[in-house]
Amino acid sequence: MNATAKTYQKGEIPGVIAIKASSCKGCDACKRHCPTSAITGMFGATHSINVDLCLSCGQCLINCPFGAPYETSYTVDEVIAKLKDPNFTVVGIIAPAVRVAIGEDFGLPAGSLVTGKLYGSMKKAGFEILDNNFTADLTIMEEGTEFISRARHAVFGEKNERGGETGPLPQFTSCCPAWVRLVEIKYPALIPNLSSAKSPQQMAGTVAKTYGTKIWKKSAEKIYTVGIMPCTAKKLEASRPEFISAYEYNKKNEGASSKPYPDVDTVLTTRDLSRLLKKMKIDLAKEKEVEGGTLLADYTGAGTIFGNTGGVMEAAVRTAYAVITGEELQPLEFKKVRGLKGVKSASVTIKDSKYNKEVTLNLAVVHNISENIKPVVEEVLAGRSPYHFIEVMNCPGGCINGGGQPICGNGSSWLGAIRPWFAWT
Amino acid sequence: MENKKYQYIENPLHITRREFITISGIIVAFLALPAVWIKALTSANNNYIQARTKGLYQDDEKAAVRVSHANKSVTRYYKEFGGEPLGHLSEELLHTKYINRTKGLS
Amino acid sequence: MHSEKMILKHPLNVRIFHYLLILSFLPLVATGLILYFKPLSEASMNLTMQIHVVAGVVLTIDAIGFLLIGFDRVVLFIKRIFNISINDFKWFLVLGGYPQKILLKKKIAVPPMEKYNSGQKLFGICILIGGTVLIFSGWILWAFPHLVPRETVALLGLLHTFFAWVLTLFLLVHLFLGIYMFDDFKAMILHGKIPYDEAREMSPLWVEKDIIPLSDKTVA
Repeated sequence: MNATAKTYQKGEIPGVIAIKASSCKGCDACKRHCPTSAITGMFGATHSINVDLCLSCGQCLINCPFGAPYETSYTVDEVIAKLKDPNFTVVGIIAPAVRVAIGEDFGLPAGSLVTGKLYGSMKKAGFEILDNNFTADLTIMEEGTEFISRARHAVFGEKNERGGETGPLPQFTSCCPAWVRLVEIKYPALIPNLSSAKSPQQMAGTVAKTYGTKIWKKSAEKIYTVGIMPCTAKKLEASRPEFISAYEYNKKNEGASSKPYPDVDTVLTTRDLSRLLKKMKIDLAKEKEVEGGTLLADYTGAGTIFGNTGGVMEAAVRTAYAVITGEELQPLEFKKVRGLKGVKSASVTIKDSKYNKEVTLNLAVVHNISENIKPVVEEVLAGRSPYHFIEVMNCPGGCINGGGQPICGNGSSWLGAIRPWFAWT
Repeated sequence: MENKKYQYIENPLHITRREFITISGIIVAFLALPAVWIKALTSANNNYIQARTKGLYQDDEKAAVRVSHANKSVTRYYKEFGGEPLGHLSEELLHTKYINRTKGLS
Repeated sequence: MHSEKMILKHPLNVRIFHYLLILSFLPLVATGLILYFKPLSEASMNLTMQIHVVAGVVLTIDAIGFLLIGFDRVVLFIKRIFNISINDFKWFLVLGGYPQKILLKKKIAVPPMEKYNSGQKLFGICILIGGTVLIFSGWILWAFPHLVPRETVALLGLLHTFFAWVLTLFLLVHLFLGIYMFDDFKAMILHGKIPYDEAREMSPLWVEKDIIPLSDKTVA
């Protein structure tokens, strides 16, 4: 715990990442992956993390050759205890990117899609499945609708039906907690541009403890929600004190008098889940393929690609196109936003069936923000951004290469040019 | 000492053409191998990212439903519980506010 | 009988190579040890690393330069250090007679040696392999840790530490014996020449096979 942390609210984990001094060689490799220059310590000296700047994205952790950074929050044993407690329904909220990476920890090749085996192992461990892809679809409904209302407000001057304020364009996605934190600590002027939609994880926690009480026939206090995330920043996100919407809703409607509970009780990274399964002697690679089973494990192709850079944008375009024009996008693949280019841009011309007018929307997708975010943000701040909707993901490649994913020994997150980098001070 | 002459030297190296080719070959290989090796390493550097990306796009391609607004469970959620996107309950449960954290920094 | 006859053992290019080696390797060992144990403050550690890097660059230039300028010496060196025979095992059994000579002041029979004795050959092999690995891994660790796969960097880091220790320990022995053999010390540091008689005693096979009289002219 850091008593001097200034950019955290009470109750938040003040920085999920720390550096083990004895393992640090001062080689500066981590600094090249850090989006906010939060790593202090000169070249050659032991490094440490300035928690006030740190986004908890974990890129340093998965890229340090010497394994010096570690997570300060480790709740595997706590989750195992809850799984063994018959009073609790433990809901595993599985993020899209987990299913293509966790196999690596059990000897499967990189990129193996193991949704069925993952469901099987987690059910064996005692989890109920809430596939985060379901809430990704929900996010698209909320965030896409929000974008349509912002765009119609900007283009046609449409008023918010409920009289609320309509945010400005461009709208930024808000799924990535590291990006949200970057806006909050570095670009507060952009807060109105952030979509007000919660991230899929937080929506999942809220839905599990409100609507989910009907599905699992349990009271919200007895539902223990565990985010299974490719991400270390999700641990920080889940600890934000405002994320007790389910508690507030239930208090209002049922008068429950228990003490406040968070929407998401705890978060395990993909690596943590592998540790949990191994502790419980479950070999994911050998498990049978199983269906999700519940209503909340039902997901679409649009939800699952959230884990890739450009995925949120592609999913949003599919839905927004259908909502605005009344017909489905053909073909469904929106390939311009795919791939590992730093900033991908595309435009779609859509005929708004409500106003019977053609609108051209400029879209941008940014990932690997340590390299790519600055020019995009500066354009927006200067008011000359050509874009209407911008997807931002912190990690290179999107969540599939998140800071909580299994560490791939024969690769690195570096997507930039192949050039030497001579560290000096 | 400095000015002392010397009367003997080492027999200088005599290399046959065959030896020269062998030695040059070894040295070139010695210098080239790491270069080739680094190139191979760095070009395969992001393979795991691409493999995972492909995995998710495969999941999308084999999905029966590929657009969010056609997810029956989402429709059911809104019908049974949530109302409509951006509706009153959605604002309460599925949306949030952000805070300016720069004050602590300055 | 004392003879004034001298053999040119270390030509000028070898001596220059060796000067630069002293200039770069001694700071590298000193700073490397500091970097390993991390005893200093942040700014001092940074300065240490900067010295380490500069010395490493000097060492690299020195090594590549000598490969180009003293190509024949490099080939001879490699040929000689890998020329291993049964005599080398016998030499190691008595450790070249050095402990007896230094500690007991007593001379014992030692197998006849070429230019390098068995210990020097082992040292040479370690220098050649270890030096190459250290230079290569050092450059990767300094300039490419973000590009090269994590496990490879970690492995190179391990190799760097391992060979650094090997060469550091060898350096201690080399420094001691190098100064103890004062004629050789003067040859390498000053003028390159050693007395014919001493060479005959230390490296009889070398003098027998490889040493030729300088017939036409003499060079100072």
